[in-house]
Amino acid sequence: MPRALLIQLARLGDLLQSLPAITQLNARYPEMQFDLLCPSHLSEVGRMLPGVEKVIEWDGAAWHRRARVAQQDLREEHLVEVDATLMALAPDRYDCAYVLNQHYRALIAGSLLARRVKGPFLQGPLGETLTPWAAYVRDVAQRRSGRRVHLADAFCGLCGVSPPGCVVMLDPPAVRLPDDLEPIGKQGAPWIALIVGAGEAERFVPTEVWRRWITSFLTSMPQGRVVLVGTERERAAEIQSPLPPSVLGRIWDTTGRTSLLQLAAILARCRRVVGSDTGPLHFAAALGRPVIGWYFSRARVHETGPYGFHHVVWQAEEMRGGTWPIDETTAAIHKQDHHAPVGWSVWTSHCDTWGAYYSPAGQSACPPREREGLWHELEPALS
Amino acid sequence: MSYLAQNLEGLRKRYPALAQITQENSGGLLTVVPSREGSPSATHEGRWVHSGYDPRKEAHAWAEAQLLEWKVGELGVVLGVGLLYHVEALVALKSQGAMLAVVVPNVAELKDAASARLMETWTNKVEWVWGTSAAMAEQLVEKSAALRFMTYGPAACLHADAHRDLETGLRRIVAAKQTGRLHVAVVGPIYGGSLGIARHTVAALEALGHRVTWLDQSPHQESYEAFGVYREPRHRLTMQSRFADMLSVGIVTHLAEDPPDLVLALAQAPMNLAVLEHLRKKKFLTAMWFVENYRHLTYWRQLAGGYDYWFVIQQASCVEALKRAGARHVDYLPMAADPALHRPLNLTAAEQREYGADVSFVGAGYTNRRTLLPRWLSNDRSFKLWGNEWEGADGLASVLQRAGTRIDTETCIKVFNATSVNLNLHSCAGDGLDPEADFVNPRTFELAACGAFQLVDERSLLPDLFTSNEMIRFTAAAEVPALIRTWLDDAPGRRAIAEAARRRVLAQHTYEHRVKELLATIGVHQPDRIGAIVRGDRNAGVLAQQVDTPPELAAMLRRFPPDQRVELKDVAAQIKAKGAGQELTRKELLVLMLDSYRAEMRDLV
Repeated sequence: MPRALLIQLARLGDLLQSLPAITQLNARYPEMQFDLLCPSHLSEVGRMLPGVEKVIEWDGAAWHRRARVAQQDLREEHLVEVDATLMALAPDRYDCAYVLNQHYRALIAGSLLARRVKGPFLQGPLGETLTPWAAYVRDVAQRRSGRRVHLADAFCGLCGVSPPGCVVMLDPPAVRLPDDLEPIGKQGAPWIALIVGAGEAERFVPTEVWRRWITSFLTSMPQGRVVLVGTERERAAEIQSPLPPSVLGRIWDTTGRTSLLQLAAILARCRRVVGSDTGPLHFAAALGRPVIGWYFSRARVHETGPYGFHHVVWQAEEMRGGTWPIDETTAAIHKQDHHAPVGWSVWTSHCDTWGAYYSPAGQSACPPREREGLWHELEPALS
Repeated sequence: MSYLAQNLEGLRKRYPALAQITQENSGGLLTVVPSREGSPSATHEGRWVHSGYDPRKEAHAWAEAQLLEWKVGELGVVLGVGLLYHVEALVALKSQGAMLAVVVPNVAELKDAASARLMETWTNKVEWVWGTSAAMAEQLVEKSAALRFMTYGPAACLHADAHRDLETGLRRIVAAKQTGRLHVAVVGPIYGGSLGIARHTVAALEALGHRVTWLDQSPHQESYEAFGVYREPRHRLTMQSRFADMLSVGIVTHLAEDPPDLVLALAQAPMNLAVLEHLRKKKFLTAMWFVENYRHLTYWRQLAGGYDYWFVIQQASCVEALKRAGARHVDYLPMAADPALHRPLNLTAAEQREYGADVSFVGAGYTNRRTLLPRWLSNDRSFKLWGNEWEGADGLASVLQRAGTRIDTETCIKVFNATSVNLNLHSCAGDGLDPEADFVNPRTFELAACGAFQLVDERSLLPDLFTSNEMIRFTAAAEVPALIRTWLDDAPGRRAIAEAARRRVLAQHTYEHRVKELLATIGVHQPDRIGAIVRGDRNAGVLAQQVDTPPELAAMLRRFPPDQRVELKDVAAQIKAKGAGQELTRKELLVLMLDSYRAEMRDLV
């Protein structure tokens, strides 16, 4: 059986955005076995992805240690050791590697582990010329200047397949939660998960803003509960510290306590998930939870909005005077109203043959024409 | 047959001379006493050399700790003999093929050990090194270039002097054999006397072929001094301290962008303890050359534990004080001269008139100089006083040059060259000669390097640096007028002394000598890092010839000049230079993979 390796060494959000590409590769090459190479700490999520036969864990910390030793004294034994490590990961080279990152080391990993590499560069790991789709992804990542093709669909383009035209969802994992978290999603309603942090500081929503949001939501929803998720315990503590006991009794702080599988289980139990453009937000979307995204800084809804249906994103057009869509988002949960404060716009998610797209909230779905044009331009064989 | 006879019979197979002198020695250095568990233990002058409860268990724990640092290819060198339990434990634990040597400064101790316990099963599995310290140093270097010292403290302390001499001998041998090229970041002070020494150090490192990143902080002097406008001393100190902290972050940024093998700071470099601890976490090696009198400037107390290596210009009490404050390695490294700068000059007649005198003194107006110099003035001879901070020294006003402005180095050198008798009086806060006269100031070496005659106040560390035929010293202020008269009348004698002093500087006391010794000292303690580099073990030629280097890696290494130091990043750069579209071998890909992680390692800032 031919075997292919998908290489995604970036963060949680990117791994989840790879799901459409994995789906389409499986559909296009049904005789092929697809394995996934991802960072060790994301392997649990990798194993949840449909279409992935086997997950190979990439231990970046161990590579850092080996590099430190080799930098001090380059010896054959160091190369032998890393070679042995790679052989242990994949004793037989794959027929093909699909490299979804533009990081140099992902390309080298592909070259080491597979006989053929379909990656972002035209001329191997030392090449500098990007493939058309890789150039598009780089623009999205660096300049946020995409042309309405969603990043997840661009990953499909990178792999030479078209978007799936549907939304593939993850099954919530059967995992036991800590006893004190077990009631989440079971008493009261609605339960809203709030993502307190972000991988990059520029995507942090100020703790004071989240505090106001929680107060607004719990005031408008007397039965509502808020679940704080993420890894940033200090931020969660900062959010809660000035709140009165009556409010604190309705907040469930899970930050820094859960594995990724437990996080998935918690997200799946919540009616909605609120946060900025982060890995957990995309995790929730992949689990089929409707999410509310606050996109600001360099985050752009059209390229990295949550993939699927029924997601709502408030996009900051320009941040003026620290205005945040606090009441607007609580109202959306309550009444399904979608209003935007000054400096923000509101979008809802859709999906069609050319992939995911967002239309202005309150209007009927309006697929942007740019996507089709771009697919014709970058991947004529598929269009 | 007794233990001694059996042990010596075993030792005689490879070391007949050592067996013979051990047999002839009367022993008795140690007092052998039974331990609680029954095996023999030992004391020396009432102190235990091995555990009184279970010497084997203690030795095993010690040996396990040594294995953590002992790298493949290094010769383990055990300091401390005792009853050799620790050596036996190390022999049992060491990997096959690992070489181990035991230093025996006093054969009497070996006799005691050989009489107390049976050792014949392992005595020939170690290299025995004995004799004078210099001889032992030669023996060790002959056995291996990479030495890993393992000190068994309770026994080693019996021969601390011999071990110190051994290390000195090794340093000299290592210093003489340096061929490798290091990357050293030198961090200077914002201002002050050590700034010039930092520059000399940079020049010496470069002259020796090392790559130097000179982190010169002197451009910030004006800003630093601008904070002096605050009336309240607390405000002034706070602002200047904060400013120095900011500079230290700048230093870290430089280090992050171009990581060196060694960060060498000179006294008063703006590196605070937090920064030093951060650097240690990130595996940077740091050293401080503290060219200050430790009794006067005491900030070393706060920084002692921050630097990996301290080099000081004082001995004994200074070394002990730093160690008590937390310093791990402290070594004596006296001042020096830069012969490219401090040199004999052919002065014009005009220069001779301007700078020349029978007697001169160059320096700042410290209290003892203000008191003593007027006593040495005489109408019988000309006297010129150069330097600043002489305000209010009325007795010296008539001889003070240029109204007491600070003079530059080149002017100093002209004065040294133009003067018949240069006075060199070490500063101190009292009225007379320095009562704690130990270190030797830079001026001593600079005058000598210029071939200038000097009278210098006696220092306890001076005889090791210059003999009485190379430098005339005085032990009391009252001696000076007579010495001046004597030597003014003896121009050939002055010339002979000065030339001898200059020869000594050129042979032993330049900054290049000091830098070599400093690197050798660190190299001895870091055989796998600095040691390997300065030995040239990281040069392309050496790496390519290593027996375990496979043909493919050797071929990559041969593309470099043999004497060029080659690191992972250099090999990676060479591979990348092949350009797009080229087929890469598996080894090349592995090198590129490691290099991609190396490039991310110094996330310091």
